[in-house]
Amino acid sequence: MIRAFASGLRVDLLQLIRTPFDMVGMLVWPLVFASIAYLLLGHASGERALFTASLGAAVMIMWGWVILGAGFALDTQREQGTLELVVGAPTPLVVLVSPVMISRAVFGVYGLLLTLLWGRLVFGIPVLIDDWPAFIAAGVGCILAIGTLGLIAASTFVLYRAAFYLGISLQYPVYIACGLILPFSVLPGWLRPISWLLAPTWGFRALREAASAQAPWPDIGMCFGLSVVYIAIAIPCLAVFEHLARDRATLKLA
Amino acid sequence: MTVVDALRGVGFSVEDGELFGLLGPNGAGKTTSIKILTTLLLPTSGSVRVLGFDPVREPNEVRSRVGYVFGGDRGLYDRLSALDNLRYFADVYRVPARQKAKRIAELLELVGLTGRERDRVETYSRGMRQRLHIARGLLHDPQVIFLDEPTIGLDPVGARELRETVAALRDSGKTILLTTHYMFEADELCSRVAVINKGQIVAEGTPRSLKAGVRDRTVIEVVAFNVSDAAPEAVRGLDGVESLAVEAVDQTQVLSVQSAEGAALIQPLLGTLTGAQVTSVTAREPTLEDAYVQLVSEP
Repeated sequence: MIRAFASGLRVDLLQLIRTPFDMVGMLVWPLVFASIAYLLLGHASGERALFTASLGAAVMIMWGWVILGAGFALDTQREQGTLELVVGAPTPLVVLVSPVMISRAVFGVYGLLLTLLWGRLVFGIPVLIDDWPAFIAAGVGCILAIGTLGLIAASTFVLYRAAFYLGISLQYPVYIACGLILPFSVLPGWLRPISWLLAPTWGFRALREAASAQAPWPDIGMCFGLSVVYIAIAIPCLAVFEHLARDRATLKLA
Repeated sequence: MTVVDALRGVGFSVEDGELFGLLGPNGAGKTTSIKILTTLLLPTSGSVRVLGFDPVREPNEVRSRVGYVFGGDRGLYDRLSALDNLRYFADVYRVPARQKAKRIAELLELVGLTGRERDRVETYSRGMRQRLHIARGLLHDPQVIFLDEPTIGLDPVGARELRETVAALRDSGKTILLTTHYMFEADELCSRVAVINKGQIVAEGTPRSLKAGVRDRTVIEVVAFNVSDAAPEAVRGLDGVESLAVEAVDQTQVLSVQSAEGAALIQPLLGTLTGAQVTSVTAREPTLEDAYVQLVSEP
């Protein structure tokens, strides 16, 4: 199963990097998100705040690529007929779908680097990382947590033929619920507990706290803990939705 | 919502090492049958066994023992090379790591893609893609192979090469279920066939036994231009006409009439084609295709 997972990760990353158009398109998001954050905050807010905004933008990119990219990837698999072959394989579906999510989240690192580079070159924002080991651990935790949260959504993508559009509907609500677009001070109080259930909240906190060396390990631990919980939820969800897809004949585009 | 019964009371069995053909027109239920057998669809009722396992309750037991190959352009990662596709599916279908490279090399040789394995699939011709499909379906050395219209859309040379590959698989002892609507293909390859129409099996037996059902008949083929819309009905109304199939070929229409009357039917038949320009009339022995046309034409 580890071999199937690693092979899936390799295949998905190979497909991504072999599409220059997609790669160029992916350049746009980080730059737009980061620029909006810098312009909203302005230089008066200080370098640390601007750098933190870069991290928030990077987490938004990571979630966006997971939820939209994975939906698009599964739609593509359905169209090209490989989804049926993957579902019809003797390897558990969770092992075969999770590489799609994780590879998109790994691409978030590319988004993070682009964001930091853009901030440095265009807005003069320095890279302020005080605890590199913790920052790297936070990055890995963030990728895992966001990728595995996407895995729960992916279970519905297996069933429904409009996975990409489902992905769109899940993109901004999560940004808002996790306080990535607007601060929690302007959001209704009931959103706060919801944010605690969502990986981007903890991923962003882990990166922020690691960058400023402010006791990041509890947040990093939450990322890894949530990943385990998400996987535990995704496995039965995928089994149920796979069963429904076989029942309703939605694995293939008619 | 309209509910359609894709299959109704379909029943057949395939012996170990047999190449069994499932024949039928588009929408007859061939692919639905294969998808149920390969665990990709759940039947609403009835029971199915593949190598003694239930595809509904024991999907993984079935999946590790069967290979599924379908025709057409789909089912491969176009941006990857053939080698990358095979490596991935080998891992997904649990080919042991130590056997993987050897198995892939053997299969590339079998399907004639050695030397092109590092090219991206998007650069492949349809025939090459179809042969790669076969290699993919055989990676885990399945006991049973399901081939769903594997020659569809191939040029005659590509189709013949693929039939040779299927024949080699049959000769190596694999159990194969082949769906096709090319009757000569079924006649050439299959030891037994079943004809499915509108979700039901309408005939089952050897190609020879199916042909025997129309042995007493003659097939009269008329090639003509400008056949009127009313002509087919008029032909069907002639005494002795058992069945009629009309096919458009380029600018002409080909009318295939089955009858026990033999050449005696030719004159009355031509009499119904008033206004049409007849270019040829031939009478011949019936083939499996004629038996098939008879079966799927019956109300």
